[in-house]
Amino acid sequence: MTPDKAEDEGNEDVEMVEIFVMGKRYRVPKGLTIMTALEYAGYKFTRGCGCRGGFCGACSTVFRTEDEYKLKMDLACQTAVEDGMFLVQLPFMPAVRAMYDIEEVEPEEHDNILLDHYPEIARCVSCNTCTKACPQDIEVMDYVQAALRGDVERCADLSFDCIQCGLCSIRCPADIKHYHMAQMARRITGRYIHEHSDELEKRVQEIKNGEYDETMKEMVEMEIDKLKKTYEERDIREEG
Amino acid sequence: MADGYPKYMQESIKKVEETREERMDKTYDRMSPSEGEEVLNNFHPDYKEEGKALLKIGPSEGKKVPTELAKLLRARSLVDPSKIDLTQIDYDVDVLIIGGGGAGTVAALWSLYEGIEPEDILISTKLRHGDSNSMMAQGGIQAADEDEDSPVRHYLDAIGGGHFTNVPELVKALTIDGPKILKWHEELGIMYDREDDGNFVELPGGGTSRYRLHSSGDYTGMELMRVLRDESENFDIPVLEFTPAVELLKDDKGQVAGALLMNLETNEYYVVRAKSTIMATGGFGRLHVQSFPTTNHYGATGDGLIMGYRAGVPIRDLDSVQYHPTGAAFPDQIVGLLVTEKVRSLGAQPVNVDGELFVNPLEPRDIEAAAIIRECKGREKGVTTPTSMQGVWLDSPLIEMKSGEGTIEDTLPAMVRQYERFGIDITKEPILVYPTLHYQNGGLVINEDGSTPVKGLFAGGEVEGGVHGKNRLMGNSLLDYNVFGRRAGINAAKHARKASLGKLTLDHVDDYNKQIEDAGIKTDRKAPLLLPEYRGEEVLRRHLDVEVTL
Amino acid sequence: MKTKASDYETSAMKVMEKLGQPLVEMEDWYCCGAVQSLTEDDIMHQIAPIRTMCCAQEQGEDEVVTLCDMCYNVLRQANDRMKDKEDDLETMNEFLDEDPDYEGGVEVYHLFHILKGMEDEIKDAVEMPLDDLVVAPYYGCMLLRPDNVAVDETEDPEIMEDMLELLGVKVLENPKRTECCGSYHTVNRSDIVEKRVEDIVSYAVEEGAEAIVLSCPLCQFNLDFHQRATDFDVPIFYITELMALAFGLDIDMKNHKIDPRSLLKEKGILE
Repeated sequence: MTPDKAEDEGNEDVEMVEIFVMGKRYRVPKGLTIMTALEYAGYKFTRGCGCRGGFCGACSTVFRTEDEYKLKMDLACQTAVEDGMFLVQLPFMPAVRAMYDIEEVEPEEHDNILLDHYPEIARCVSCNTCTKACPQDIEVMDYVQAALRGDVERCADLSFDCIQCGLCSIRCPADIKHYHMAQMARRITGRYIHEHSDELEKRVQEIKNGEYDETMKEMVEMEIDKLKKTYEERDIREEG
Repeated sequence: MADGYPKYMQESIKKVEETREERMDKTYDRMSPSEGEEVLNNFHPDYKEEGKALLKIGPSEGKKVPTELAKLLRARSLVDPSKIDLTQIDYDVDVLIIGGGGAGTVAALWSLYEGIEPEDILISTKLRHGDSNSMMAQGGIQAADEDEDSPVRHYLDAIGGGHFTNVPELVKALTIDGPKILKWHEELGIMYDREDDGNFVELPGGGTSRYRLHSSGDYTGMELMRVLRDESENFDIPVLEFTPAVELLKDDKGQVAGALLMNLETNEYYVVRAKSTIMATGGFGRLHVQSFPTTNHYGATGDGLIMGYRAGVPIRDLDSVQYHPTGAAFPDQIVGLLVTEKVRSLGAQPVNVDGELFVNPLEPRDIEAAAIIRECKGREKGVTTPTSMQGVWLDSPLIEMKSGEGTIEDTLPAMVRQYERFGIDITKEPILVYPTLHYQNGGLVINEDGSTPVKGLFAGGEVEGGVHGKNRLMGNSLLDYNVFGRRAGINAAKHARKASLGKLTLDHVDDYNKQIEDAGIKTDRKAPLLLPEYRGEEVLRRHLDVEVTL
Repeated sequence: MKTKASDYETSAMKVMEKLGQPLVEMEDWYCCGAVQSLTEDDIMHQIAPIRTMCCAQEQGEDEVVTLCDMCYNVLRQANDRMKDKEDDLETMNEFLDEDPDYEGGVEVYHLFHILKGMEDEIKDAVEMPLDDLVVAPYYGCMLLRPDNVAVDETEDPEIMEDMLELLGVKVLENPKRTECCGSYHTVNRSDIVEKRVEDIVSYAVEEGAEAIVLSCPLCQFNLDFHQRATDFDVPIFYITELMALAFGLDIDMKNHKIDPRSLLKEKGILE
């Protein structure tokens, strides 16, 4: 237990809460996120801080609150501090990732391409700890099970909101690397399972054949007043 | 779970609710050109002369830039060249890429496709590989692939959107490469939203004359970035994380010849010699121009501008900064984060503290932003938050009234989740918003092949300027980093094959220091900034600087 | 079922549809683990099968049918354990935590349980009796052991023979039908499996079998794939494939290592 400091009783304007950063006690204003509270307390991040907006998965934090035996996991930039919170940030996830060549992973040509690269998914006992650890509320266990039965597309769809923070994998008793496996599933889906665009293919060929070269040249060389006029007179596709 | 809006704000929300029925079918007239000009002149941060400073030194002497950037451009280097041993080279590569976001990763991949071996490439990045603004983009990426669209039309939209201040050759490159980039993305397996026939779902964006925005839900930037990173990892391209560049290196012939990196955890420096160097450090939102909050990631401190400028690359269009009209203003935890334009496209109206509609919801970004600032600062009709920020309501429940229950959950799932964490239900309660610093329109001067005027140095992505002129359209930034990341990567690889380097020097840093002195600038400030300072004042006041002596 | 054993799934779905008792795949289900953990205090490995029970319960169903013999065996044993041992159910539900408790109200069946009692429907559905075909039935372990989960008499089962006879097939007596195929030793001790396969197949062939019939994807894989180490090439059918053929249904049999088509053509079953 870190002892109280004398001036801690002082500040009356702002409601303060007590948090314990790696066991050390700090008083911070209520309402801050774990991330801003750490900064308020004097920590300058190098690790454990990325986009600050819930997209990058850099700030995985393990914590528990007072009178609660369960460990919780969440993103420091998206979680408000609570009185009596004990916390530590996870700076790095040394999870192994399978190498592959996207040209060589056509799912139809393999029995189970995900299982081939990540055989450990067969160790899943459906404990669901991964799902509970996920700050994005993804059904992690369900996508691992989908992968196990070869349903690459379902694995991709269920895992789509994954920010790759790695909390699932650090909690998994079977040492599955969920987020790496799901990344592969999504790429296979985008590459081989989803239909590709005919319009795009056509346009790429047109560009290759130089069909826009002349009009583009005109545009680039157009003197400014004429360009402005052309811009203002262009037709605009309306809603619907 | 936090507690939602405090009581006094609830009272204002009541007024918003009272006027909602009546407002629902009302439209607010768009501003006339003269009204628009007036509100921009009086309230848009870009139009405030006191927010800018004249550059007294360097290759763009005489240009005006935001004061916050100017302070860094006239600051001293982090390193004392006399204490650096450039004879001991730690990494000797063909292509050095400074920045591990979208542009840097694309550049690395295209250098590789161009024939450079993975081990002859090095990515240096300040945080983790992928930590970048690229990761955070929600809206989408523009590219003219639909039958009724064309690259020429895309060109016209982009250059008009930039008020004709863009560099024509760069806009041409951006728009003609668009479809090619998407084709590459298809092959990489990026999961874009598609119609049943495989063609893309395409949406309109501000200033586009066709539906041209390709997206992956509201996680477009993340989907692109994580696939690009995955591809780079499949080739085992070396990445030094938490090891930003702090200065470019030159050789005795005046070419850029690598960079000096710093390990953020040990403070040790590393000398990288490179035949080609690509600057891909992104934007500068974390400089908080005019004290605005920002949508940008933690490392967006404009380092590349500082290093490039010192090495002799001119800058352009940095006097204009893109403010997104609607950043979150409450709760404090998410201040500055983006509330996507889609919320207004779906029908939410901006209303003031008394529940009155005060601007058309779909004015161009700069006018919309200025009108919100006027409502708060000029007319004092904003809502004050417990931390003394100002904001206006964005009346999101209107969306459900207009398009039916469940619309918000279906179209903005990430946002619903974000506010839910703080006890706010955006399907029933409005959102408090205020403009937020979003994008660095200008940057380092480049040619259409991604090269800068200084031999050996290339640039791609938000760090370069000219592509968007003084105003970028939604969806052109993701395309920018792909197009110019690719071009920089290819041409850096080609350059590396024929380049020969002389003796490494940091003389340009000495020269720059001398210019600072000659201009009579007195400063203790050092740059690049690397990371913004957010530590509590109380702590910094009592901070002991303990130097280690050997 | 979704990959190597897809022939079993598609033929079974078609057959049950034809019999007026279509099978519906559960919205969610979990890999059972394939091997029942016999350790008394090992609750961890009971979680996966019990989650599948919970899924059924939450979907408002009280019966689960499996096609795979191993799934049947594991689900049934885990489910029975929860029903028999109150303490284990309590421990399980505590672990399930925020997820809904398992109430123990779901029953596990194998496809054979359903087929038994549908003899009349099967007889009516036969459009082309497979008169010429001589087959040896094969049960393996999982349908019959342990005794308390057996779908028929452990030592002297007849259920498969009964079904096959309804199709018009000539069924051989096969004393090797309850022996083990080598099971998961296929993963790293193929020598063991090869020996088992040699023994089972050679006996059947000596007795005059033209094909072997079974209902387990792993037995099918072992008997089919590992025949390459023997001198034989006897087709290994899922029982539902023969049913489908007798019912005149179209099936593609795409995953067989030993292609059964030439035999079927020879017998006039396929054109």
